Amino acid sequence: MSGRGGRTIKVDTLARVEGEGALYIKMAGDRVADVKLKIYEPPRMFEAFLRGRHFSEAPDITARICGICPIAYQMSAVHAIERALAIKIDPAVRLLRRLFYCGEWIESHALHVYMLHAPDFLGYQDVIEMAKDHRAAVEKALRLKKIGNRIVHLLGGREIHPISACVGGFYKVPSRKQVQELVSDLEWALEASLETVRWTSTLEFPPFEQEYEFVALQHPDEYPLNEGRLVSSHGLNIDAAEYEDRFVEVHVKHSNALHSVMRGKGSYFVGPLARFNLNFGRLPEIAQKAAIEAGLRPPVKNLFRSIVVRAVELVFACAEALRVIGEYEAPAAAHVDVANRAGVGQAITEAPRGILYHRYAVDENGLIVAAKIVPPTSQNQRRIEDDLREYAGHLAAWPIEEATWKCEQAVRCYDPCISCATHFLKVRIDRQ
Amino acid sequence: MLIIGCGNRQRGDDAAGLIVAERLRDGGIPTQTCSGEATEVMELWRDHDDVIIIDAVTTASRIGTLHIWDPEGLPKNCQVSASTHGLGIAEAVELSRTLGQLPARLRVYGIEGREFGVSSEISPDVMRAIEIAVGRIESEIRSRA
Repeated sequence: MSGRGGRTIKVDTLARVEGEGALYIKMAGDRVADVKLKIYEPPRMFEAFLRGRHFSEAPDITARICGICPIAYQMSAVHAIERALAIKIDPAVRLLRRLFYCGEWIESHALHVYMLHAPDFLGYQDVIEMAKDHRAAVEKALRLKKIGNRIVHLLGGREIHPISACVGGFYKVPSRKQVQELVSDLEWALEASLETVRWTSTLEFPPFEQEYEFVALQHPDEYPLNEGRLVSSHGLNIDAAEYEDRFVEVHVKHSNALHSVMRGKGSYFVGPLARFNLNFGRLPEIAQKAAIEAGLRPPVKNLFRSIVVRAVELVFACAEALRVIGEYEAPAAAHVDVANRAGVGQAITEAPRGILYHRYAVDENGLIVAAKIVPPTSQNQRRIEDDLREYAGHLAAWPIEEATWKCEQAVRCYDPCISCATHFLKVRIDRQ
Repeated sequence: MLIIGCGNRQRGDDAAGLIVAERLRDGGIPTQTCSGEATEVMELWRDHDDVIIIDAVTTASRIGTLHIWDPEGLPKNCQVSASTHGLGIAEAVELSRTLGQLPARLRVYGIEGREFGVSSEISPDVMRAIEIAVGRIESEIRSRA
């Protein structure tokens, strides 16, 4: 587009992300002059809301930050507080928490792969348009999501904003028989997930690769959900307690949300692609095989292939849920008793869309005196801007509507849950 | 009849649908509640013929306005469900229709809200609309008894 006058691409609303905000891209010819991810709502309300509350309330309060990943919030909260109070949980409770998280991953990934992201690849305005031609795919998504809901319902009491996880365990745990009732559904879901990997692998992926610093949890022998060290593709290897030494949130003028950056470096990448690239060998064999057959070998650097990686993680979540159910025996006690004491604890868990950091300081009465929450979307925001800065330049010669659509598709690769970071999200691109 | 109240109790006026459902339940009328996310709503109303769903909405109307729409009358440009989801009730209606799963009789009670910030209070106008919605639904149920 050299020699051509500047132009404006404007997308006021970015649909199919969880929430609403605005992404603004300003172009001057074929050069990207500016990229701003704008967020409208003060993101730290919940941190303030938690201060003065008893630690036992934190899992339920934080679960209400997001309707799509409430379990992630509960899990990071209970782990951080358990660390602050030096509590050890029963191994059977640990297993149940893995199952709980698998339920959320199935719900979230099924929704995103089929209903939020696939329409971009297939050229539909939205899933409603897509359903007219791909009814079976949409029905598969609905059934997959329902199976995730069943797991969450069994362990959480209700699907959205679960209430049964608590500091020290669960308020109530299911019997072995109850969890085994999930098996036939999960066996179907595993098969459907394998089909999802094959289906997504046939989509067309724009040839866009970047040198990302991938950041994810890493456990010695499990694909990460609830615990592990925080590692990166560039040599980071830290405990959650060191997180704030290495990452910092910076306020940017154009956004109410804080952008998380690596100190001294800049943006980084969290989410399925990061987990896959850093933990491929820890995936169950069935997921590894599905990935390889779909043409995925780590490191995957094409942002758009994240839809296939998400499908591979669906396979993992179903296989892992079945494994946990096979091993599960109800613990003697649903939770350990927890006494008030002062302490500080940090935890990182893997929300469907990437790492979620929580830190709590509690006093001797068990009241929260400080809370810090860094959601995955805050961690990816700077990375999204960096990608768009590069990718929008590739689209300079495209008609404005198509370029806008491709940029939205790129943003949706991150499955941004803007409601975690803030409330609503909108997107706008200007060419001048 | 299935009655579904949608919303988020932590986000001000977005709690409207949930409060209507709770008020009805207090009066002995069975109700369901959910966030308003499309697939969740579709799961709830699947295999039901007669459904009322209540949620906070934002259109150009005055705060506290009570809208009652059938699926055909649902305005295209309003945000039904102010909750933090990309897919809400409007999408649930359209997707259900496409998949042949739309309840034979469906009414959407939309309560016009304005304050959706985290931990904000419910607006007095919305509280008044909640009471009107409860009364309307109770009358409808009584008239059928």
